[in-house]
Amino acid sequence: MSVTASPAHTASPSPPLSAAAGIEASCRLPLLSLFGGGVLWLLAGLLLALIASLKFHDPHFLANEAYWTYGRVQAAHRTALLYGFGVPAALGTGLWLLCRLGRSPLAGPWVVVIGAVFWNMAVVIGLGAILCGDSTGFESFAMPGYVTLILFVSYLLIALCGVLSFHRRATGPLYPSQWFVLGSLFWFPWIFSTASMLLLWAPVRGVMQASIAWWYAHNLSSVFLGFAGLASIFYFIPKLLGRPLYSHYLAALAFWTLALFGSWGGMPAGAPLPAWIISMGVVGTVLTTVPVLAVAVNFYQTVRHDLQALDVHLTLRFSYVALVFWLIAAAHQIVGALPHVSELTDYTWFPVAHWELFHYGFFALAMFGALYYIVPRLLDPLDPPAWSPGLAKCHFWFTSVGILISYIVLLVVGVGQGFLLNDPYFTFAIIMEGTTKQLRHSTLGYLCILVGTLFFLLNFALLLLRFGRRCWAELGKEVA
Amino acid sequence: MACSWLSFVLGPQLQIGDMRPTTNIVVGASGQIYPNAEPGAAHQGAEIYRANGCACCHTEQVRPRALGSDINRGWGIRRSTGYDYLFEQPVLLGSLRVGPDLANAGRRMDAAAVLLRLYEPRALTPGSIMPPYPFLFDKRRIQGVLSPDALRLPAAFAPPPGYEIVPRPAARALAAYVTSLRQEGYLFEAPPPPQPAAKTNAPAKPMTNSPAK
Repeated sequence: MSVTASPAHTASPSPPLSAAAGIEASCRLPLLSLFGGGVLWLLAGLLLALIASLKFHDPHFLANEAYWTYGRVQAAHRTALLYGFGVPAALGTGLWLLCRLGRSPLAGPWVVVIGAVFWNMAVVIGLGAILCGDSTGFESFAMPGYVTLILFVSYLLIALCGVLSFHRRATGPLYPSQWFVLGSLFWFPWIFSTASMLLLWAPVRGVMQASIAWWYAHNLSSVFLGFAGLASIFYFIPKLLGRPLYSHYLAALAFWTLALFGSWGGMPAGAPLPAWIISMGVVGTVLTTVPVLAVAVNFYQTVRHDLQALDVHLTLRFSYVALVFWLIAAAHQIVGALPHVSELTDYTWFPVAHWELFHYGFFALAMFGALYYIVPRLLDPLDPPAWSPGLAKCHFWFTSVGILISYIVLLVVGVGQGFLLNDPYFTFAIIMEGTTKQLRHSTLGYLCILVGTLFFLLNFALLLLRFGRRCWAELGKEVA
Repeated sequence: MACSWLSFVLGPQLQIGDMRPTTNIVVGASGQIYPNAEPGAAHQGAEIYRANGCACCHTEQVRPRALGSDINRGWGIRRSTGYDYLFEQPVLLGSLRVGPDLANAGRRMDAAAVLLRLYEPRALTPGSIMPPYPFLFDKRRIQGVLSPDALRLPAAFAPPPGYEIVPRPAARALAAYVTSLRQEGYLFEAPPPPQPAAKTNAPAKPMTNSPAK
């Protein structure tokens, strides 16, 4: 059995503390600007999700202003989550992993800061445009063309620094997290430029637009964010358990098969597209069983002797749960792609349940796990300030329970809605009335995730405060 | 990455990217082939549809007869095909049905019904969760006689006496768009429903491969 180097036991010796401190110092401002903006966007996205959800309790809620109508708020919610939080968090974690695993300081830290500032400005403009009615109308790609240009250039600035840092790495075998990060770094510009060109700048004709929009949304989530989340999980779980990853080859299998099959799919079975496209999507999605099993077996073998060690580190706890949610979300997607199931569940809340579980359950929790580890080390690599364990515990429980509530509610409502929709005996008004009553419970889920995120922000603020006080005291001593 | 791009972007583009209106469907007495570019008001309405994210809750695609109950529900006479969207920009097929499918909304609703639903969905469907769009309408004092385009609202939703609710141009354009949504005719890939075999009293002919008596 191949036992590969774990991040804690790489072939090359661990960097001396001074070198590690240099790496962290080079990452400090760029990563804090990416993470800080990202978490604030997550909060904004959750507030928008809550507003959208409240409209199912009373459609007259905030109905008098065009800015707050459901379609705009929902598009803004997804945009804030994907582009405000998702991409910067994925980039921040990815850059840190590349530097840390490659034992090289971040190349062009100021370029990353400039990229992050422009990225966040573009998201502000994009969200404002969506709320003012200038969205593209495409799901997961709602920001108008003039914003996508700024986003693309900002992304290239940041990603280029990541690739340069990787290029300067110390020699040695690559760890799986590095493949996943590099894969995600190259994936985004490819899909984003394709979607921008063919949907906004020189739009293709007819249903090709829908095909590209579905392809883009599927690739953005399943591959780009999926790779970024898995990179973090592949790094932190073995590292914090102090065990090597079970199999390098299984990780390679997962990476390549996820890149190959995970990028197919996303189209509903009844879409007005040539049948071969939809069939390929179904085949690709079902074949993602291979990477799912490879990841599941790899981690089960890695952690099976340490299953009780959940409380060793906050990051471990978040990473474990993110991994479990990824596996459930993948199983959900595979089952949902099967022909007899998709006939029932397409166009219902069932795919929305998957969306929520994947982004809030898997991706956001994996990123929070990474933040709990990375942020204190960015502030002080030699003596990292501590998070408040109580607040972190509240964050974990509120977020996890909130995700489970909204997922289960949307799943049950989706399946019920599918059965009712497929029976023409039930009028649409009856179906709408039946599903809405249950759907309202998902508001509680969003509320819990929002409260959890507020706990995290409070913890973040206290961490900065403690660090600031410590710096102040040290400065005082030096002066004395 | 390249494999996925070739399969889902380039391949479909090569196959359906240069589709032209079909000569197999002739619309009405004018003899025009299908589809035609939508009229100007409907085109403006499509912009309002896009701007307000209507596609978040409404799809514009009818599934094949073998999938789901779309056709039995009266949402269309046939499945949607690529031809139906040749003049749409952007093409917003949607992927969630919080509200009903609108691919053939023009067959089911007239402009007055659409406007009423936009102003107060519960005026037509009690308990509807569709949000109202009051910002697409003006509430104004009646000048002499009721305006011809004032909404005819049920008493529960009517404005105070002396006032009327009149659609703004954006609402009228949106109604023109929704009522323009009609997917016409049958195609090879979207055929009419199979006809049940005609019942006759004639004895069934023996099948050619039935055993000899």
